[in-house]
Amino acid sequence: MNDVAVRVDNVSKSFRMYKERNQTIKSAIMRGRTSVHEDFWALKDITFDVPVGSTFGLIGSNGSGKSTLLKCLANIYFPNKGTITHFGKLAAMLEVGSGFHHELSGRENIFLNGSILGMSKKEITRKFDEIVEFSGVEQFIDQPVKNYSSGMYVRLGFAIAINVNPDILVVDEVLAVGDAEFQEKCFQKFRDLKAAGKTVILVSHSMDTVEAMCDHAAWINKGTLMTAGEAAPVIAAYTDSYSHDG
Amino acid sequence: MRYLREVLASRELLVNLTLRETRGKYKRTVFGQLWSLANPLSLMLIYTFVFALIFRIRPDVGDPSGLDVFALWLLCGLLPWTFFSTVLSVGAGSLVANASLIQKVYFSRIVLPLSLVGSSIYNWLFEMAVLVVALSIVGAFVLPWLPLVLVAMLLLAVFAGGLSLMLAIANVYFRDTQYFLSIGLQMGMYLAPIIYPVSMVSDVSKDLGGLLGSPITLESVFLLNPMVHFIEVFRNLLYDNRWPDPAEWLICLGWAVVTFTIGLLVFRANEKNLAETL
Repeated sequence: MNDVAVRVDNVSKSFRMYKERNQTIKSAIMRGRTSVHEDFWALKDITFDVPVGSTFGLIGSNGSGKSTLLKCLANIYFPNKGTITHFGKLAAMLEVGSGFHHELSGRENIFLNGSILGMSKKEITRKFDEIVEFSGVEQFIDQPVKNYSSGMYVRLGFAIAINVNPDILVVDEVLAVGDAEFQEKCFQKFRDLKAAGKTVILVSHSMDTVEAMCDHAAWINKGTLMTAGEAAPVIAAYTDSYSHDG
Repeated sequence: MRYLREVLASRELLVNLTLRETRGKYKRTVFGQLWSLANPLSLMLIYTFVFALIFRIRPDVGDPSGLDVFALWLLCGLLPWTFFSTVLSVGAGSLVANASLIQKVYFSRIVLPLSLVGSSIYNWLFEMAVLVVALSIVGAFVLPWLPLVLVAMLLLAVFAGGLSLMLAIANVYFRDTQYFLSIGLQMGMYLAPIIYPVSMVSDVSKDLGGLLGSPITLESVFLLNPMVHFIEVFRNLLYDNRWPDPAEWLICLGWAVVTFTIGLLVFRANEKNLAETL
């Protein structure tokens, strides 16, 4: 049995920074080229392993490349170099409620969003009650989601995503939503996932969250991996780096 | 092959997205699905007035059906055309319109343009059903031909789907595509035998002879347009109630298969870059 859930191996990712971009045919012809660009390396040669059953935090300052890495993990971006291998079913929650159709009811959206996230109709039907209960919008489940409060919207989105029941869950800063009670519910759900031997990878700016939840972490700065491993030393190294600067 | 399996695996998502389109489209309208008929019917009225009454275009009487109703003859070509043109124009914008979804969730992206083909088929089926009822009322014996009509509809949907896959990708790189497309579709409507019969083109072609001294005739150029053949098949089946020429079927099949294959290849080659490019 493999004890690595995700292996990130020498991953580099570049973006094109356009100095000139001709997205209309007229300008492409007039300038005789479609674009002038420079490569910007958002991730440089990153290597680490995420152990099975761990809660893994990605930390770093704004623009350090955490979200790019997360999108690579979620199969949304594809690295230019290196490989990312994951062992088990992976689901990503980069934004909750993406793909909701505003005119459709909560019920219809659960089925729609669930299938976007890769659940089969059978699975959704089976988990339907659990999703509705977790989101706490029972009363309004047959109302169009455009009438939902922003909290209800996010709670429903989160409830669907968390019930995809993946082996590896990738989460971006989505916990900063909802009221305290709902956040506590979410943390409990993460603890349940951990107890069930699932792997969670999350990005957060709140060191309290990372400290409370993660047992492993990686610190990324300007696209390079500074350190990875047990959470406490990594967090300490990161907080040290900015407290000295400031 | 692996790619096709992946697409097949997301068929449930395809169905759900199609339902999202069909259910969401006419929500909160009083007339609901009837709106789907409004566009072709208004075109039918105005074209019948202009071309049958003023220009006096007289298509051949349906053989063997014996029908002689310009409005219905027109609709037999107009409904496939409006379907084709809707699929292309909504399909071309499908990736750009769902940019936020593409950047946040991983799923087989091909379902986005294909679900729009699906929801357009749904509307088209409804329109065609109304047309079949109208044809039957005026005495066409159209019911036995329905299975073949469905086959022709499928071929046209595959053809249009293939084109919309290419257009959707092209539109991501060049947003001009959608504007070119709307001009192209407007011209295409008059370049296909929708408001005039092919026989009129043949007559003009005979008068002109070879174009610019070459043996190429106007008619042979005209027949290069795949929609000419699709519309012929639909008219033969619905209006004339007879077997279309097997050659016409083959041409339609060929266009559908080739276009869809190229569309799939183009889409697959560009799929991975979508999240960044959008």
